[in-house]
Amino acid sequence: MSNLELVSVEEERVAKAFLLREARLLDDERWDDWLLTLSERIHYWMPGIENRRREDGKGAYVEEHMALFDDGFRELQRRVNRFKQPSAWAENPPTRNVHLIGNIEVFAGDEPGQYRVFSTFINVRSRGLDEQYQLAGRREDVLCEEGDGLKLLKRKIVIPNATLPCKNINTFL
Amino acid sequence: MKKINLCAIETTPPLAGLDRICDMEAGRMAGKVFWDGEIYEQELEKIFARCWLFVAHESQIPNAGDYVATTMGEDEVLVVRQKDLSIKVLINACPHRGNKVCFAEAGNARGFICNYHGWAFGTDGALRGMHESGVYEQSGFDKSQQSLREARVDSYKGLVFATFAEDAPSLAEYLGPMAWYLDVILDNDEGGTEFVGGCIRSTIECNWKIAAENFVGDILHAGWTHDSAAQAMLGGSVTKVSEFPESWQVNWNGHGYEFTRDLVGNAAVLGESGVNKYLHLHRPKAEERLGEFRSKMLGAVSSFTVFPNFSFLPGQNTVRVWQPRGPNKIELYTWVIVNKNAPQEVKDMWRRGAMMTFSPTGVFEMDDGENWEYCTKTSRGKVTRYQDLYVGLGMNTRLTDTDLPGNVFKGQLNEANARAYYQRWKDLLQAGSWAEVPDRNGKLS
Repeated sequence: MSNLELVSVEEERVAKAFLLREARLLDDERWDDWLLTLSERIHYWMPGIENRRREDGKGAYVEEHMALFDDGFRELQRRVNRFKQPSAWAENPPTRNVHLIGNIEVFAGDEPGQYRVFSTFINVRSRGLDEQYQLAGRREDVLCEEGDGLKLLKRKIVIPNATLPCKNINTFL
Repeated sequence: MKKINLCAIETTPPLAGLDRICDMEAGRMAGKVFWDGEIYEQELEKIFARCWLFVAHESQIPNAGDYVATTMGEDEVLVVRQKDLSIKVLINACPHRGNKVCFAEAGNARGFICNYHGWAFGTDGALRGMHESGVYEQSGFDKSQQSLREARVDSYKGLVFATFAEDAPSLAEYLGPMAWYLDVILDNDEGGTEFVGGCIRSTIECNWKIAAENFVGDILHAGWTHDSAAQAMLGGSVTKVSEFPESWQVNWNGHGYEFTRDLVGNAAVLGESGVNKYLHLHRPKAEERLGEFRSKMLGAVSSFTVFPNFSFLPGQNTVRVWQPRGPNKIELYTWVIVNKNAPQEVKDMWRRGAMMTFSPTGVFEMDDGENWEYCTKTSRGKVTRYQDLYVGLGMNTRLTDTDLPGNVFKGQLNEANARAYYQRWKDLLQAGSWAEVPDRNGKLS
């Protein structure tokens, strides 16, 4: 965190384009294309948020505690696999998604060919005639050059909610 | 028994007409059970202020001063480890103006100080001092009369329960023979159990009973509702429960457990082969404690609800409280329970596996929430609210020639536990006191 090193304008442009395309793929339910944006070594982590006092020192989340996502590539494939089943009853009619991505900052990663990327998101989901759920949060990603482009190697997703205001998270953030 | 400072709550007469909307002898009820403000107020009084409610696992608060916050019905409480390592459950509301005295969900404290006027309480709930204390002395103020209110507390093998009712039976009597079944998950290893750290909370717009009933005995939904998740996790459908060679529903005082003895049927859906391996290796040790019969239930296709709103799934090891928040909303608290002596990597597999399957981001639970919400919401319609709902599966399947404890029914695909659950719900709503709650054990069909 201490020495964040800026990258070239071109590298920044490519990293931003990666995040914006990813959001579009998710909104369009292009699950298989989305999986192709991930490194098979990915760690996709969204800790559960805890409401503790400042002097507690643990902060808002603890690595080994309960999480909303703590996935590798196999787990993300399984989640996608469920979305694609004709018997995913609660996805038919489909959930309609918008992923808004902002506050993008791109820095050099710890290793050559890696980028450390901070961003924020607002995800609005609607189901049925009138259900609407909105989640906002911050993300910290590591993108890496793999094959012919960038892949997502690490993602940490932190939302402010200690209680999810909704019944599930049937999307990726 | 120690005198505790429970002021009697204002009680209201039972509602008329409950027999019309809940007739378990006929296996019929109406959606009004899930959608009614008056019924909900009665539930807070006659069920949640009366029953033994799960409040914590002892492992969440190992040291003196450790606490977790939770709710009993809609009453906010603190579960606090005392200096002598006993546990107290205190109402999280200052006896001055009622403000919360603790805003964190968990931590360690020497005491709790109200943000409003600086009333300071020890971890035992006793008032120790106040901001501007001199002014109180002039009014003849008696600190000893101003403690945080306490609930009755008791534990069963790590699970801490509390009740606000002085006339409630003991926890042992409340659980009855269901304790024998609770041991399958709580006492299969000499080290006992613990909760993985943290709690996942989510919000479902459903009535609290529809969720509790799902765990009391509705394996029937699994093969249909969860087909997509089973395909995703196992690459095939859920095993057909009707093809199990033997399975049961058992209940007592509204608690219910439905199970078979396939050891790893529930655990397998986690998609973590290490969990299955652990269960297979551990089973002989479990058999020494529990006997052969129960050792095959460890991670079997099964589910459990302790009346009214505490549930878990053996095998997936997901533990739930369905916290009521009005007639058509719950906050769902989700934890993971593991054997304390299990290897760390196995505990991690359970933590991730439960998240992956039965949690708000779990592929199985995705399809439950919507079902429960619309089982509730359709009763907005006045006509729909009185439509008969069928709860009649397995009528007259009670086994009388069995050694198994409790009210035992043949076959997991059965609504015997659901009937016993709603019968208990109605009995409590119709009873003016604990003494008036009828004993239905041995008489249910």
